[in-house]
Amino acid sequence: MQGFKLAFNYLRIGIMNEFQYRANLYIQILQTFIALATGLIGLNLVFNQVTELGGWNKAELLAVMGVFTVTGGFIRAAIQPNMERLMDEIREGTLDYALTKPADAQLLVSVREFRLWQMVDVVTGVIVMIVALSQLDWFVDFWSVLGFFSALFLGAIMIYCFWLIITSTAFWFVRVNEIANLFEGLYAAGRWPVDIYPNWLRYGLTFLVPVAFAVTVPAQALTGRLTLQTWFGALALTVTLFIVARTVWKVGVKNYSGASA
Amino acid sequence: MPSVISISKLAKHYQVPEREAGLKAAAKGLFKRTYKTVKAVDGISFEIQPGEVVGFLGPNGAGKTTTLKMLSGLLHPTSGGASVLDYEPAKRPHDYLRQITLVMGNRNQLSWDLPALDSFDLQRAIYGIPTEDFKRTRDEFIELLDLKELVQKPVRNLSLGERMKMEIVGALLHKPKILFLDEPTLGLDVTMQKRIRTFVAEYNKRYGATVLLTSHYMADVEALCKRVIVIHHGQLLFDGDLAALVEKFSAFKTVGFTLDNPATDLSQYGDVVSIDGSRVTMRVPKEKASAVTSRLLNDLAVDDLTVEAAPIEDVIESVFSVKKEAME
Repeated sequence: MQGFKLAFNYLRIGIMNEFQYRANLYIQILQTFIALATGLIGLNLVFNQVTELGGWNKAELLAVMGVFTVTGGFIRAAIQPNMERLMDEIREGTLDYALTKPADAQLLVSVREFRLWQMVDVVTGVIVMIVALSQLDWFVDFWSVLGFFSALFLGAIMIYCFWLIITSTAFWFVRVNEIANLFEGLYAAGRWPVDIYPNWLRYGLTFLVPVAFAVTVPAQALTGRLTLQTWFGALALTVTLFIVARTVWKVGVKNYSGASA
Repeated sequence: MPSVISISKLAKHYQVPEREAGLKAAAKGLFKRTYKTVKAVDGISFEIQPGEVVGFLGPNGAGKTTTLKMLSGLLHPTSGGASVLDYEPAKRPHDYLRQITLVMGNRNQLSWDLPALDSFDLQRAIYGIPTEDFKRTRDEFIELLDLKELVQKPVRNLSLGERMKMEIVGALLHKPKILFLDEPTLGLDVTMQKRIRTFVAEYNKRYGATVLLTSHYMADVEALCKRVIVIHHGQLLFDGDLAALVEKFSAFKTVGFTLDNPATDLSQYGDVVSIDGSRVTMRVPKEKASAVTSRLLNDLAVDDLTVEAAPIEDVIESVFSVKKEAME
């Protein structure tokens, strides 16, 4: 309960912070527009040659693109900025303040930053999804809606855990900022459903960097492909990743000695 | 009265990689590392009673910050024990963290782009302070530190001193019982230092809080602390009254007087520290001070003669040199 209150307060602060930098909104709109345009052009180029890609038709792939944009926006709004701040604070020894607060330290370091303008991506992604669904004449039923939102939620948690594990290694290796760039590169692969990739890459994108669960699986739910088996797989992996992330974090904090003054 | 802070034989040793300079040594370090043990804190013990303001002194690298970090739960001691308010700090129980605060003069926790008021609100949420209490305390502190005009400005637009005052308000909103202040006046001008000092004294008086303070500015220590603890190389050198420290370690007294002809050779009386116009300041061994002053009065036409204890900076310096000799 205190966790929600705290997250809400930080969210409020984060939003107020972002209002100070209005220019960022316009830059973000431009960026989203460019990303959307290149995405759509790519999709059209592909479908000029073929009618179907790995069993997905054009409207379905548009739905994948929608989910990709929504999740990517959320990661850049809420997950990545927190983790980058954490990396900096571990390196500079300023994590001290977070650790002397009477709140769960993991929760605290995970909710402190919020980049509101990245939500432009989320909104745009939702619009893309709606367009895709209207082309698919989607039948809205309770289970597919629940499947979609729960898959999206599990995917977000998995990506968060992945980031936290990587970031926590900063307790030992100190400099891990390059990981952020690496993630961007790997996440870009999620633009397409992972079924189209060779096996080794598909497994990598599923279990090492859970892009498959963050994008492909929710898109499966949207296009009526989600099986109960996959859903339970997602749940199991989420729980496992969460436990691993929490353990790595705890051991890391114990190991933390601060860049002593 | 039972003590609020009690540490016994507290130690923190670090293993740090050690290598020689140069590329070859660096490459070797990739495969085989040799480690050296650094004893940042090496078995110190002391007790602090409720409401005490204690100055924690020592040169850079003496182990002051490491000790404060162990007391605030950030570092696990290598050995020995620490108990604060009957809690074990290293376990960082929330009930403990709610009653302490850590202020570090060189680090900020307020949000850079926002007015301090918004960051204060965040502290309220983190510490779960009831809104009424929060408002009362906040306004009281703002009043005491004369910050009314500044709380609505983004923190980045404040001067260093103003920012530090805000930091202190933010760090005390939950009315902690124990204050760990690590160089709270670092880099501030004299007026601002004084302001912060007065505020800490006032907070201590109003709420009966216990304060453990490190500072390089002896004025802070003289103004706030009756008792001082001096550490060096991680070991305790002195623990007691500031006055006793001065008494014990000050080998010299400062003798000042006005002389019509400052060109007179004064070397037979003691070391001349400075001559400013007709005003002469001399350093005289403590035990000879009375003899020297009477001779000065007899031999020369001196006026306005004063005898003062050596400045506290000099005293601390002599503590370190005396102990160093003893250790070698």
